[in-house]
Amino acid sequence: MVSQGARNEGFLTTRVDAVLNWARSNSLMPMPMGLACCAIEMMAFAGPRYDAARFGSEAMRFSPRQADLMIVAGWVSYKMAHAIRRVWDQMADPKWCIAMGACASTGGMHRCYGVVQGCDNFLPVDVYIPGCPPRPEALLHALMDIQEKIRNEYSVTQDYVQGHVLPEGQTGNGIG
Amino acid sequence: MCSRKARQVTALAEMPADVEHIPPAEESTPSHRVLDFFFTPRDAPAPGGDNPLIQSTTQAPQIIRALCDRFGKAILGVEEYAGEQTVLVETQRIADVCRFLRDEQRFQYLADVGGSDRFVEEDRFEVFYNLVSFEKGKRIRLKVRVDEAALTVPTVTGVYRASNWNEREVYDMLGIRFQGHPDMRRMFMPEDFEYYPQRKEFPQMGIPGSLPLPPRTPEGPLQYDPYPAAHDGPTPKSYQEPPSEIAEEE
Repeated sequence: MVSQGARNEGFLTTRVDAVLNWARSNSLMPMPMGLACCAIEMMAFAGPRYDAARFGSEAMRFSPRQADLMIVAGWVSYKMAHAIRRVWDQMADPKWCIAMGACASTGGMHRCYGVVQGCDNFLPVDVYIPGCPPRPEALLHALMDIQEKIRNEYSVTQDYVQGHVLPEGQTGNGIG
Repeated sequence: MCSRKARQVTALAEMPADVEHIPPAEESTPSHRVLDFFFTPRDAPAPGGDNPLIQSTTQAPQIIRALCDRFGKAILGVEEYAGEQTVLVETQRIADVCRFLRDEQRFQYLADVGGSDRFVEEDRFEVFYNLVSFEKGKRIRLKVRVDEAALTVPTVTGVYRASNWNEREVYDMLGIRFQGHPDMRRMFMPEDFEYYPQRKEFPQMGIPGSLPLPPRTPEGPLQYDPYPAAHDGPTPKSYQEPPSEIAEEE
């Protein structure tokens, strides 16, 4: 994107989306929805040994207004599901969701009346992590998958869909 | 400072002498043998040899005799399984029995209260009380039976306040009401839940539609289908997500 001539001139040309996605993907602020033992692995993920700060995600935000990545770590009971959905609705768009571990993804070993059989029944999950519990590396990998997803999105240039200009009066993806 | 030092010296003088050091057992009989864990329940306490630390805490014949002397016919029976003695008490007298054990037999600690569904015609439910006496180093288990027709047991919160939440749990799971309980609400399940999940006839996966899931969109309705992701497709995002190159590759 940066030509040799432009570098000497002191400017570069790029797309707004590329810059914005680069910024977004490297400053994800996770909302730690720690519900069970997966939360212990999530703490290791944030701590100095596995160091989520390398990916710009060390700032765990316990306030949904400041977070844009929800990590559902642990089994979700029917009672807790309503609180989780409420927190998710309070998070500002755009936002992403990781279902961490077997329990959050499918209910796992908790095949019983009180546990929701997978938090994707009420949350739009972007990445599922297998494992019981998954290792912190797996969570880092899920974070990198989310980053990959963000970098490939059209975030600002909504009038363009897959690089084509839409006809007059029509807005991309129906949100304008 | 001086006075404090003097007090320390007297305190040291009052202390008992150190216990004489006992050398470990010979190699032929390793000392860790006595700590073997037995997977099958035993009828008698594990043979401890001369180890003073091994003694039965779950057998208390003297206390049970005192209970029988005091309450007579209210003690319906004593059963023993796996070296543990259980006293079956008449349901209406449970609070009196607990008070007697607490005040006169020094059972200060109520370790657990729980219930079970025996799934029989008569006296279907059972509530147990595990009591511990720290002074005597003894444990005792009391049981009362409850018939399906009259699902009430007198509360023991007047004797042991710790039983408050445990009795609520029994009510939540089995539907047994505790007479005189200060706060007889459900413990775990939602207030408007209509079933008692630990009864044997309750299906393990629950009754569909009895527990609503949260809405899938911010303004949407509650969901009464337990598996909406399987029936209605994935949960939509609150904003429409642009197509990504990853999705195209797949």
